[in-house]
Amino acid sequence: MTSTINSQEKVVDTNMKMQSIDLNAWFGPKQALKDVNINIKANSVTAIIGPSGCGKSTFIRCLNRMHELTPNAKMTGQILLDGQNIYDKQVDSVQIRRRVGMVFQKPNPFPTMSIYDNVAAGLKLTGTKKGKNLDEVVKRSLEQATLWDEVKDELKKPGTSISGGQQQRLCIARAIALQPEVILMDEPCSALDPIATAKIERLVVELKRNYTVAIVTHNMQQASRVSDFTAFMYLGSLIEFGPTRDIFESPKNPLTEKYITGEFG
Amino acid sequence: MSRIIDRGLEEQSVLIVRMGELTYETLALSIHGYLEGKSVQEQVRELSDMLLSMADKVEDQTFQLIARFQPVATDLRTIKSYMKIGNDFARYGRYALDISFINDQLHGLKECETWTRDYIDEMSEKVLSMVKISIDALKKQDIILAKTISETERSVDKMYFDYLHKLIKGEQANSKCVLSSALMTRYLERIADHAVYICESIVYIVTGEKVNLG
Repeated sequence: MTSTINSQEKVVDTNMKMQSIDLNAWFGPKQALKDVNINIKANSVTAIIGPSGCGKSTFIRCLNRMHELTPNAKMTGQILLDGQNIYDKQVDSVQIRRRVGMVFQKPNPFPTMSIYDNVAAGLKLTGTKKGKNLDEVVKRSLEQATLWDEVKDELKKPGTSISGGQQQRLCIARAIALQPEVILMDEPCSALDPIATAKIERLVVELKRNYTVAIVTHNMQQASRVSDFTAFMYLGSLIEFGPTRDIFESPKNPLTEKYITGEFG
Repeated sequence: MSRIIDRGLEEQSVLIVRMGELTYETLALSIHGYLEGKSVQEQVRELSDMLLSMADKVEDQTFQLIARFQPVATDLRTIKSYMKIGNDFARYGRYALDISFINDQLHGLKECETWTRDYIDEMSEKVLSMVKISIDALKKQDIILAKTISETERSVDKMYFDYLHKLIKGEQANSKCVLSSALMTRYLERIADHAVYICESIVYIVTGEKVNLG
Protein backbone atom coordinates (compact mmCIF):
# COMPACT_ATOMS: atom_id res chain seq x y z
CA MET A 1 0.00 0.00 0.00
CA THR A 2 1.23 3.48 -0.75
CA SER A 3 1.14 5.68 2.28
CA THR A 4 0.78 9.27 1.28
CA ILE A 5 0.47 12.14 3.67
CA ASN A 6 -2.69 13.86 2.61
CA SER A 7 -4.54 11.39 0.48
CA GLN A 8 -4.22 7.90 -0.83
CA GLU A 9 -4.29 6.56 -4.34
CA LYS A 10 -7.71 7.23 -5.81
CA VAL A 11 -7.60 4.35 -8.25
CA VAL A 12 -9.73 1.29 -7.69
CA ASP A 13 -7.52 -1.27 -6.02
CA THR A 14 -8.83 -4.83 -5.95
CA ASN A 15 -6.51 -5.67 -3.07
CA MET A 16 -8.49 -3.32 -0.90
CA LYS A 17 -11.60 -4.44 0.94
CA MET A 18 -12.96 -0.93 1.08
CA GLN A 19 -12.02 2.40 -0.43
CA SER A 20 -13.36 5.89 -0.02
CA ILE A 21 -12.83 8.02 -3.08
CA ASP A 22 -13.22 11.80 -2.91
CA LEU A 23 -15.66 11.38 -0.07
CA ASN A 24 -17.46 14.52 1.07
CA ALA A 25 -20.25 14.57 3.64
CA TRP A 26 -22.52 17.22 5.09
CA PHE A 27 -25.00 17.67 7.91
CA GLY A 28 -27.28 20.31 6.45
CA PRO A 29 -24.96 23.15 5.38
CA LYS A 30 -22.07 22.00 7.57
CA GLN A 31 -19.42 20.02 5.74
CA ALA A 32 -18.15 17.14 7.90
CA LEU A 33 -15.84 15.39 5.42
CA LYS A 34 -13.67 16.91 2.71
CA ASP A 35 -12.32 14.80 -0.15
CA VAL A 36 -11.37 11.86 2.03
CA ASN A 37 -9.50 9.06 0.24
CA ILE A 38 -8.75 6.05 2.40
CA ASN A 39 -7.96 2.47 1.41
CA ILE A 40 -8.86 -0.26 3.87
CA LYS A 41 -6.97 -3.48 3.38
CA ALA A 42 -8.71 -6.83 3.85
CA ASN A 43 -8.05 -8.69 7.11
CA SER A 44 -6.42 -5.72 8.74
CA VAL A 45 -7.36 -3.31 11.48
CA THR A 46 -7.47 0.33 10.46
CA ALA A 47 -7.69 2.90 13.23
CA ILE A 48 -9.18 6.31 12.62
CA ILE A 49 -7.97 8.93 15.06
CA GLY A 50 -8.40 12.66 15.42
CA PRO A 51 -9.88 15.26 17.77
CA SER A 52 -13.61 15.48 18.48
CA GLY A 53 -15.55 16.75 15.51
CA CYS A 54 -12.88 15.83 12.95
CA GLY A 55 -15.23 13.52 11.04
CA LYS A 56 -14.08 10.08 12.24
CA SER A 57 -17.53 8.80 13.11
CA THR A 58 -19.08 10.40 10.05
CA PHE A 59 -16.46 8.64 7.94
CA ILE A 60 -17.24 5.16 9.22
CA ARG A 61 -20.97 5.83 9.09
CA CYS A 62 -20.51 6.50 5.37
CA LEU A 63 -18.85 3.11 5.03
CA ASN A 64 -22.12 1.27 5.66
CA ARG A 65 -24.61 3.88 4.52
CA MET A 66 -25.68 4.85 8.01
CA HIS A 67 -24.86 8.49 7.33
CA GLU A 68 -27.81 8.73 4.93
CA LEU A 69 -30.19 7.79 7.77
CA THR A 70 -29.51 11.12 9.49
CA PRO A 71 -32.02 13.84 8.47
CA ASN A 72 -30.46 16.51 6.20
CA ALA A 73 -27.28 14.48 5.77
CA LYS A 74 -25.78 14.08 2.32
CA MET A 75 -22.60 12.83 0.76
CA THR A 76 -20.72 12.79 -2.53
CA GLY A 77 -17.94 10.58 -3.78
CA GLN A 78 -17.69 6.82 -3.73
CA ILE A 79 -17.37 4.05 -1.19
CA LEU A 80 -16.16 0.84 -2.77
CA LEU A 81 -16.69 -2.53 -1.18
CA ASP A 82 -14.71 -5.16 -3.09
CA GLY A 83 -14.54 -2.64 -5.93
CA GLN A 84 -18.27 -1.95 -6.10
CA ASN A 85 -19.70 1.44 -5.20
CA ILE A 86 -22.11 0.83 -2.32
CA TYR A 87 -23.98 4.01 -3.23
CA ASP A 88 -24.93 2.78 -6.70
CA LYS A 89 -28.69 2.97 -7.27
CA GLN A 90 -29.18 -0.76 -7.62
CA VAL A 91 -27.37 -1.53 -4.35
CA ASP A 92 -29.61 -2.42 -1.39
CA SER A 93 -28.53 -0.43 1.69
CA VAL A 94 -29.84 -3.14 4.04
CA GLN A 95 -27.61 -5.69 2.34
CA ILE A 96 -24.67 -3.32 2.72
CA ARG A 97 -25.29 -2.93 6.43
CA ARG A 98 -25.37 -6.67 6.68
CA ARG A 99 -22.00 -6.98 4.94
CA VAL A 100 -20.55 -4.04 6.86
CA GLY A 101 -21.55 -4.33 10.51
CA MET A 102 -21.26 -1.65 13.17
CA VAL A 103 -20.49 -1.72 16.88
CA PHE A 104 -21.24 1.50 18.77
CA GLN A 105 -19.66 3.49 21.55
CA LYS A 106 -22.11 2.45 24.26
CA PRO A 107 -23.08 -1.21 24.44
CA ASN A 108 -26.65 -1.32 23.20
CA PRO A 109 -28.09 -4.81 23.57
CA PHE A 110 -31.83 -4.98 22.89
CA PRO A 111 -33.14 -4.41 26.43
CA THR A 112 -36.13 -6.71 26.27
CA MET A 113 -34.26 -9.63 24.71
CA SER A 114 -32.24 -12.45 26.25
CA ILE A 115 -28.54 -12.92 25.55
CA TYR A 116 -29.45 -15.63 23.03
CA ASP A 117 -32.06 -13.52 21.28
CA ASN A 118 -29.75 -10.53 21.08
CA VAL A 119 -27.33 -12.57 19.01
CA ALA A 120 -30.08 -14.28 17.03
CA ALA A 121 -32.13 -11.14 16.40
CA GLY A 122 -30.66 -10.23 13.03
CA LEU A 123 -30.89 -13.77 11.73
CA LYS A 124 -34.48 -14.17 12.92
CA LEU A 125 -35.43 -10.90 11.25
CA THR A 126 -33.97 -11.98 7.96
CA GLY A 127 -35.34 -15.51 8.43
CA THR A 128 -32.04 -17.00 7.33
CA LYS A 129 -31.44 -19.41 10.21
CA LYS A 130 -33.79 -21.50 12.35
CA GLY A 131 -33.69 -24.17 15.08
CA LYS A 132 -30.43 -26.05 15.43
CA ASN A 133 -28.73 -23.96 12.79
CA LEU A 134 -29.59 -20.85 14.74
CA ASP A 135 -28.20 -22.38 17.95
CA GLU A 136 -24.96 -23.14 16.17
CA VAL A 137 -24.59 -19.62 14.81
CA VAL A 138 -25.34 -18.09 18.22
CA LYS A 139 -22.75 -20.34 19.85
CA ARG A 140 -20.14 -19.66 17.18
CA SER A 141 -20.73 -15.91 17.32
CA LEU A 142 -20.44 -15.81 21.09
CA GLU A 143 -17.29 -17.92 20.87
CA GLN A 144 -15.74 -15.56 18.33
CA ALA A 145 -16.63 -12.65 20.57
CA THR A 146 -14.89 -14.55 23.42
CA LEU A 147 -18.09 -14.44 25.46
CA TRP A 148 -19.41 -18.01 25.20
CA ASP A 149 -17.61 -19.40 28.24
CA GLU A 150 -18.92 -16.59 30.41
CA VAL A 151 -22.60 -16.77 29.37
CA LYS A 152 -23.22 -20.31 28.08
CA ASP A 153 -25.23 -21.24 31.21
CA GLU A 154 -27.33 -18.12 31.23
CA LEU A 155 -28.34 -17.57 27.65
CA LYS A 156 -31.95 -16.86 28.66
CA LYS A 157 -31.00 -14.00 30.97
CA PRO A 158 -31.61 -10.47 29.67
CA GLY A 159 -28.80 -9.05 27.55
CA THR A 160 -28.67 -6.07 29.85
CA SER A 161 -28.02 -8.21 32.96
CA ILE A 162 -24.33 -8.76 32.17
CA SER A 163 -21.45 -6.31 32.73
CA GLY A 164 -20.73 -3.40 30.38
CA GLY A 165 -17.72 -5.15 28.85
CA GLN A 166 -19.73 -8.34 28.34
CA GLN A 167 -22.56 -6.32 26.79
CA GLN A 168 -20.11 -4.79 24.32
CA ARG A 169 -18.84 -8.25 23.37
CA LEU A 170 -22.48 -9.33 23.08
CA CYS A 171 -22.98 -6.51 20.57
CA ILE A 172 -19.91 -7.70 18.68
CA ALA A 173 -21.38 -11.25 18.70
CA ARG A 174 -24.63 -9.80 17.35
CA ALA A 175 -22.71 -8.14 14.52
CA ILE A 176 -20.69 -11.28 13.80
CA ALA A 177 -23.81 -13.47 13.68
CA LEU A 178 -24.79 -11.86 10.40
CA GLN A 179 -21.43 -12.92 9.00
CA PRO A 180 -20.35 -9.49 7.86
CA GLU A 181 -17.18 -8.94 5.87
CA VAL A 182 -16.26 -5.69 7.57
CA ILE A 183 -16.82 -4.66 11.17
CA LEU A 184 -16.87 -0.95 12.00
CA MET A 185 -16.32 0.05 15.60
CA ASP A 186 -17.07 3.52 16.86
CA GLU A 187 -15.10 4.02 20.09
CA PRO A 188 -16.11 0.58 21.35
CA CYS A 189 -14.19 0.86 24.62
CA SER A 190 -14.92 4.41 25.68
CA ALA A 191 -17.52 3.31 28.23
CA LEU A 192 -15.51 0.35 29.54
CA ASP A 193 -13.05 -0.21 32.39
CA PRO A 194 -9.42 -1.22 31.64
CA ILE A 195 -10.03 -4.96 32.04
CA ALA A 196 -13.02 -4.95 29.72
CA THR A 197 -11.09 -2.69 27.33
CA ALA A 198 -8.18 -5.14 27.23
CA LYS A 199 -10.59 -7.97 26.34
CA ILE A 200 -12.13 -5.97 23.50
CA GLU A 201 -8.68 -5.03 22.21
CA ARG A 202 -7.60 -8.68 22.17
CA LEU A 203 -10.83 -9.51 20.41
CA VAL A 204 -10.26 -6.82 17.75
CA VAL A 205 -6.86 -8.31 16.95
CA GLU A 206 -8.42 -11.80 16.78
CA LEU A 207 -11.26 -10.64 14.57
CA LYS A 208 -9.02 -9.53 11.74
CA ARG A 209 -8.30 -13.18 10.94
CA ASN A 210 -11.82 -13.46 9.58
CA TYR A 211 -12.97 -9.90 9.10
CA THR A 212 -11.74 -6.48 8.08
CA VAL A 213 -11.97 -4.04 10.96
CA ALA A 214 -12.09 -0.24 11.06
CA ILE A 215 -12.07 1.29 14.52
CA VAL A 216 -12.59 4.88 15.60
CA THR A 217 -10.80 5.65 18.83
CA HIS A 218 -9.79 8.61 20.95
CA ASN A 219 -7.24 6.47 22.72
CA MET A 220 -3.91 6.80 20.93
CA GLN A 221 -2.35 3.87 22.74
CA GLN A 222 -5.32 1.75 21.78
CA ALA A 223 -4.85 2.67 18.13
CA SER A 224 -1.16 1.80 18.33
CA ARG A 225 -1.86 -1.50 20.09
CA VAL A 226 -4.58 -2.90 17.89
CA SER A 227 -4.26 -1.44 14.41
CA ASP A 228 -2.15 -2.21 11.37
CA PHE A 229 -2.90 1.10 9.68
CA THR A 230 -3.83 4.47 11.10
CA ALA A 231 -5.63 7.41 9.56
CA PHE A 232 -5.38 10.80 11.23
CA MET A 233 -8.23 13.19 10.47
CA TYR A 234 -8.56 16.85 11.29
CA LEU A 235 -11.40 19.26 10.51
CA GLY A 236 -12.98 16.78 8.10
CA SER A 237 -9.82 16.09 6.10
CA LEU A 238 -7.51 13.12 6.07
CA ILE A 239 -4.17 14.51 7.20
CA GLU A 240 -2.06 11.38 7.18
CA PHE A 241 -2.49 7.68 6.57
CA GLY A 242 0.05 4.89 6.86
CA PRO A 243 1.24 1.81 8.70
CA THR A 244 0.56 2.36 12.41
CA ARG A 245 4.22 2.02 13.33
CA ASP A 246 5.18 4.82 10.95
CA ILE A 247 2.42 7.11 12.16
CA PHE A 248 3.38 6.68 15.81
CA GLU A 249 7.14 6.60 15.35
CA SER A 250 7.80 9.03 12.54
CA PRO A 251 4.70 10.92 11.42
CA LYS A 252 5.34 12.99 8.30
CA ASN A 253 2.86 15.75 8.94
CA PRO A 254 3.54 18.19 11.82
CA LEU A 255 -0.19 18.23 12.62
CA THR A 256 -0.15 14.47 13.21
CA GLU A 257 2.92 14.84 15.41
CA LYS A 258 1.24 17.57 17.45
CA TYR A 259 -1.95 15.60 17.89
CA ILE A 260 -0.45 12.28 18.88
CA THR A 261 2.05 13.85 21.28
CA GLY A 262 -0.76 15.72 22.99
CA GLU A 263 0.14 19.25 21.95
CA PHE A 264 -3.43 19.82 20.86
CA GLY A 265 -6.72 18.00 20.66
CA MET B 1 1.04 25.00 28.21
CA SER B 2 3.75 22.39 28.59
CA ARG B 3 2.84 18.72 28.65
CA ILE B 4 3.46 16.60 31.73
CA ILE B 5 5.96 14.47 29.79
CA ASP B 6 8.07 17.59 29.06
CA ARG B 7 9.61 17.72 32.53
CA GLY B 8 10.84 14.13 32.23
CA LEU B 9 12.20 14.79 28.75
CA GLU B 10 14.02 17.88 29.99
CA GLU B 11 15.60 15.94 32.87
CA GLN B 12 16.76 13.25 30.48
CA SER B 13 18.15 15.82 28.07
CA VAL B 14 20.12 17.59 30.84
CA LEU B 15 21.56 14.26 31.97
CA ILE B 16 22.57 13.16 28.48
CA VAL B 17 24.27 16.51 27.72
CA ARG B 18 26.14 16.29 31.03
CA MET B 19 27.21 12.77 30.07
CA GLY B 20 28.47 14.09 26.76
CA GLU B 21 30.63 16.72 28.46
CA LEU B 22 31.99 14.19 30.94
CA THR B 23 32.68 11.76 28.13
CA TYR B 24 34.83 14.25 26.25
CA GLU B 25 36.71 15.08 29.43
CA THR B 26 37.33 11.36 30.12
CA LEU B 27 38.51 10.55 26.62
CA ALA B 28 40.72 13.62 26.33
CA LEU B 29 42.32 12.82 29.69
CA SER B 30 42.96 9.22 28.73
CA ILE B 31 44.17 9.84 25.16
CA HIS B 32 46.46 12.74 26.09
CA GLY B 33 47.74 10.70 29.05
CA TYR B 34 48.62 7.91 26.62
CA LEU B 35 50.28 10.25 24.12
CA GLU B 36 52.31 11.90 26.86
CA GLY B 37 53.04 8.66 28.72
CA LYS B 38 51.33 9.95 31.87
CA SER B 39 49.47 7.54 34.18
CA VAL B 40 45.83 8.62 34.56
CA GLN B 41 44.21 5.25 35.14
CA GLU B 42 42.71 5.98 38.57
CA GLN B 43 41.10 9.25 37.46
CA VAL B 44 39.81 7.66 34.27
CA ARG B 45 38.38 4.70 36.19
CA GLU B 46 36.45 7.06 38.43
CA LEU B 47 35.06 8.99 35.47
CA SER B 48 34.28 5.83 33.53
CA ASP B 49 32.35 4.38 36.49
CA MET B 50 30.47 7.65 36.77
CA LEU B 51 29.51 7.38 33.07
CA LEU B 52 28.30 3.82 33.58
CA SER B 53 26.06 4.81 36.45
CA MET B 54 24.74 7.79 34.46
CA ALA B 55 23.91 5.42 31.57
CA ASP B 56 21.95 3.28 34.06
CA LYS B 57 20.08 6.38 35.14
CA VAL B 58 19.23 7.27 31.55
CA GLU B 59 17.90 3.73 31.10
CA ASP B 60 15.78 4.02 34.26
CA GLN B 61 14.40 7.34 33.09
CA THR B 62 13.61 5.81 29.70
CA PHE B 63 11.60 2.99 31.24
CA GLN B 64 9.76 5.41 33.51
CA LEU B 65 8.87 7.74 30.65
CA ILE B 66 7.65 4.86 28.50
CA ALA B 67 5.65 3.27 31.32
CA ARG B 68 4.07 6.49 32.52
CA PHE B 69 3.55 8.52 29.37
CA GLN B 70 3.51 6.07 26.42
CA PRO B 71 5.53 8.49 24.28
CA VAL B 72 5.15 8.56 20.50
CA ALA B 73 6.71 10.31 17.49
CA THR B 74 9.58 12.71 18.33
CA ASP B 75 9.19 12.01 22.06
CA LEU B 76 9.55 8.27 21.49
CA ARG B 77 12.47 8.66 19.10
CA THR B 78 14.24 10.98 21.55
CA ILE B 79 13.78 8.72 24.55
CA LYS B 80 14.80 5.59 22.66
CA SER B 81 17.85 7.33 21.18
CA TYR B 82 18.95 8.88 24.47
CA MET B 83 19.10 5.40 25.97
CA LYS B 84 21.25 4.26 23.04
CA ILE B 85 23.46 7.37 23.23
CA GLY B 86 23.81 6.86 26.98
CA ASN B 87 25.24 3.41 26.24
CA ASP B 88 27.53 4.88 23.55
CA PHE B 89 28.86 7.37 26.11
CA ALA B 90 29.40 4.57 28.62
CA ARG B 91 31.33 2.67 25.92
CA TYR B 92 33.48 5.77 25.35
CA GLY B 93 34.28 5.63 29.06
CA ARG B 94 35.29 1.97 28.91
CA TYR B 95 37.57 2.60 25.91
CA ALA B 96 39.14 5.50 27.82
CA LEU B 97 39.82 3.10 30.68
CA ASP B 98 41.28 0.50 28.29
CA ILE B 99 43.59 3.15 26.83
CA SER B 100 44.80 4.22 30.27
CA PHE B 101 45.38 0.54 31.09
CA ILE B 102 47.60 -0.12 28.05
CA ASN B 103 49.44 3.09 28.79
CA ASP B 104 50.34 1.79 32.25
CA GLN B 105 51.06 -1.81 31.16
CA LEU B 106 52.92 -1.15 27.90
CA HIS B 107 54.39 2.30 28.60
CA GLY B 108 52.23 4.03 26.02
CA LEU B 109 54.29 4.89 22.98
CA LYS B 110 57.64 5.18 24.78
CA GLU B 111 59.08 2.18 22.94
CA CYS B 112 57.86 3.40 19.52
CA GLU B 113 59.65 5.29 16.81
CA THR B 114 58.77 8.91 16.17
CA TRP B 115 56.71 8.22 13.04
CA THR B 116 54.40 5.94 15.03
CA ARG B 117 53.95 8.56 17.72
CA ASP B 118 53.13 11.17 15.09
CA TYR B 119 50.76 8.79 13.33
CA ILE B 120 48.78 7.98 16.47
CA ASP B 121 48.85 11.59 17.55
CA GLU B 122 47.16 12.58 14.28
CA MET B 123 44.63 9.75 14.52
CA SER B 124 43.83 10.69 18.12
CA GLU B 125 43.13 14.30 17.22
CA LYS B 126 40.81 13.21 14.42
CA VAL B 127 38.92 10.89 16.78
CA LEU B 128 38.63 13.54 19.50
CA SER B 129 37.28 15.94 16.88
CA MET B 130 34.67 13.32 15.94
CA VAL B 131 33.67 12.92 19.58
CA LYS B 132 33.32 16.68 19.84
CA ILE B 133 31.15 16.79 16.72
CA SER B 134 28.90 14.09 18.14
CA ILE B 135 28.47 15.94 21.43
CA ASP B 136 27.97 19.38 19.86
CA ALA B 137 25.47 18.00 17.34
CA LEU B 138 23.59 16.35 20.19
CA LYS B 139 23.45 19.56 22.24
CA LYS B 140 22.19 21.58 19.28
CA GLN B 141 20.20 18.75 17.64
CA ASP B 142 22.12 19.82 14.54
CA ILE B 143 21.77 17.26 11.77
CA ILE B 144 23.95 19.18 9.33
CA LEU B 145 26.83 19.05 11.81
CA ALA B 146 26.02 15.39 12.59
CA LYS B 147 26.28 14.46 8.92
CA THR B 148 29.77 16.02 8.63
CA ILE B 149 31.13 13.14 10.68
CA SER B 150 31.24 10.71 7.74
CA GLU B 151 34.31 12.21 6.14
CA THR B 152 36.49 12.02 9.25
CA GLU B 153 35.16 8.53 9.94
CA ARG B 154 36.41 7.34 6.55
CA SER B 155 39.76 8.95 7.19
CA VAL B 156 40.09 7.31 10.63
CA ASP B 157 39.12 3.91 9.20
CA LYS B 158 41.75 4.29 6.50
CA MET B 159 44.40 5.27 9.04
CA TYR B 160 43.55 2.23 11.14
CA PHE B 161 43.84 -0.27 8.29
CA ASP B 162 46.93 1.44 6.85
CA TYR B 163 48.58 1.18 10.25
CA LEU B 164 47.72 -2.52 10.56
CA HIS B 165 49.34 -3.10 7.15
CA LYS B 166 52.47 -1.31 8.31
CA LEU B 167 52.61 -3.58 11.36
CA ILE B 168 52.03 -6.69 9.23
CA LYS B 169 54.85 -5.61 6.96
CA GLY B 170 57.11 -5.33 10.05
CA GLU B 171 57.63 -1.58 9.89
CA GLN B 172 57.58 -1.47 13.66
CA ALA B 173 59.96 -3.88 15.36
CA ASN B 174 59.51 -3.33 19.09
CA SER B 175 56.95 -5.84 20.35
CA LYS B 176 55.67 -3.65 23.21
CA CYS B 177 55.17 -0.82 20.74
CA VAL B 178 53.43 -3.16 18.27
CA LEU B 179 51.01 -4.37 20.93
CA SER B 180 50.41 -0.95 22.47
CA SER B 181 49.89 0.87 19.17
CA ALA B 182 47.75 -1.88 17.64
CA LEU B 183 45.41 -1.82 20.64
CA MET B 184 45.39 1.98 20.72
CA THR B 185 44.49 2.34 17.05
CA ARG B 186 41.80 -0.30 17.51
CA TYR B 187 40.27 1.58 20.45
CA LEU B 188 40.43 4.84 18.52
CA GLU B 189 38.68 3.24 15.56
CA ARG B 190 35.93 1.90 17.86
CA ILE B 191 35.50 5.29 19.56
CA ALA B 192 35.09 6.83 16.10
CA ASP B 193 32.38 4.25 15.33
CA HIS B 194 30.45 5.24 18.46
CA ALA B 195 30.71 8.91 17.47
CA VAL B 196 29.09 7.92 14.17
CA TYR B 197 26.32 5.97 15.96
CA ILE B 198 25.56 9.04 18.07
CA CYS B 199 25.33 11.23 14.96
CA GLU B 200 23.01 8.66 13.33
CA SER B 201 20.82 8.78 16.44
CA ILE B 202 20.65 12.57 16.21
CA VAL B 203 19.44 12.38 12.60
CA TYR B 204 16.87 9.79 13.68
CA ILE B 205 15.62 11.95 16.56
CA VAL B 206 15.19 15.00 14.38
CA THR B 207 13.89 13.46 11.14
CA GLY B 208 12.79 9.90 11.92
CA GLU B 209 15.16 8.71 9.19
CA LYS B 210 17.47 5.81 9.89
CA VAL B 211 20.71 6.76 8.15
CA ASN B 212 24.08 5.13 7.86
CA LEU B 213 26.82 7.70 8.30
CA GLY B 214 29.66 5.21 8.58
